[in-house]
Amino acid sequence: MNREGIVYTVIATFIVSFSFVALLALTNEFTNEKVERNRVLSERRSVLNSFGIDIEGSDADYDLYDNRVTESTEQGIDLYRAQIKGHTVEAIKFSGSGLWGTITGVIAVEQDLSRIVGIDIISHNETPGLGGRIAEDWFKDQFRGEKINQGRIRVLGTGGGDTDKDNGRVDAVTGASRTSAALEQIVNKSLETIGRLRGN
Amino acid sequence: MNGKPSVVAVLRDNLWGNNPIFIQILGICSTLAVTNNLNNTGIMTVGVVFVAGMTNVTVSILKSFIPRKVRMIVQTLIIAFYVIIVDIILKAYLPDISKALGPYVGLIITNCIIMGRAEAFAQANPPLLSLWDGITSGVGYMYVLLLVAFFRELLGFGTLFGVTVMPDGFVPWTIMVMAPSAFFFLGGFIWIAKTIMLKMEARS
Repeated sequence: MNREGIVYTVIATFIVSFSFVALLALTNEFTNEKVERNRVLSERRSVLNSFGIDIEGSDADYDLYDNRVTESTEQGIDLYRAQIKGHTVEAIKFSGSGLWGTITGVIAVEQDLSRIVGIDIISHNETPGLGGRIAEDWFKDQFRGEKINQGRIRVLGTGGGDTDKDNGRVDAVTGASRTSAALEQIVNKSLETIGRLRGN
Repeated sequence: MNGKPSVVAVLRDNLWGNNPIFIQILGICSTLAVTNNLNNTGIMTVGVVFVAGMTNVTVSILKSFIPRKVRMIVQTLIIAFYVIIVDIILKAYLPDISKALGPYVGLIITNCIIMGRAEAFAQANPPLLSLWDGITSGVGYMYVLLLVAFFRELLGFGTLFGVTVMPDGFVPWTIMVMAPSAFFFLGGFIWIAKTIMLKMEARS
């Protein structure tokens, strides 16, 4: 058969594509369950993180979540509750557009909406090393215990982390103004959502 | 290419004489984009070494069955195949690393070094030598990127592998975090490497 003929070309291309895609599908099928469980585990860890509950970093976090967190749905929004130091803390998942793609995460607040308890990023597609730094601890830790001023929080300026917990602001990521501004909007929108659920 | 290149010649070419970054100027997008911190650079370049090696072996084994017209489409398919495999395996067995890498894994597909080696070397050479060529090309890419990342992370964040090493009063150079600084370092690197090469040529 002619190697460069159209029939051979079509058949060879088909066979090659078919076998590689079949191999991929098989690998996907075999690892599907594990990947799905990892995804749920990582989301559960994010919720625990936002509550400030220490995670083990192992499979035990799966049960830790079942023990500490209760899930409910109010007005079509998934609400997570936990008891932290004797009082109730609530969290919701958020998602919104960043610079390149969707940023999803969890935000936990005191029930009276006075302070943010913590946030965690579940997934994002921001530039690694720039906007991607929103997922780093120094950035997320700025939100821990931060006071909410008039239902908002501001992400401003540049720097290595704002430590004042009463000024209702956190430092933006240097070189990532757009991601920082997007995150500010997303966080404030989720504060509004929680406020609406609380009826104020 | 006349005859079979030797193992040592392939190594010397890929690491120095015909280095993918500073001689062939390939894979520059990732050189600019990912080199502002050593951890990410390290993990991604390991991925490139693996994918370049495996792609070269596969292309070399399949080369006699693939019609010339569609060989580049098939090469792209093979590259994408290995990158997705790496992605799936990381997601299933090393979820933390997978999360840290994020979009990096996908970016490997677009690295022109891999396709360049598949087309220039694996199409004309036996599988094992092609594997060696893929791996050494990856390593040639890796060490240049790590060098650039070393300076960028040190000056841009004052850290190395995330550990603070600069004294307290150090003011980070914001430009180092941005892509343009990689141009300066890469330019400087090419300048130094070429100067050394010319001197070595003049002496011999």
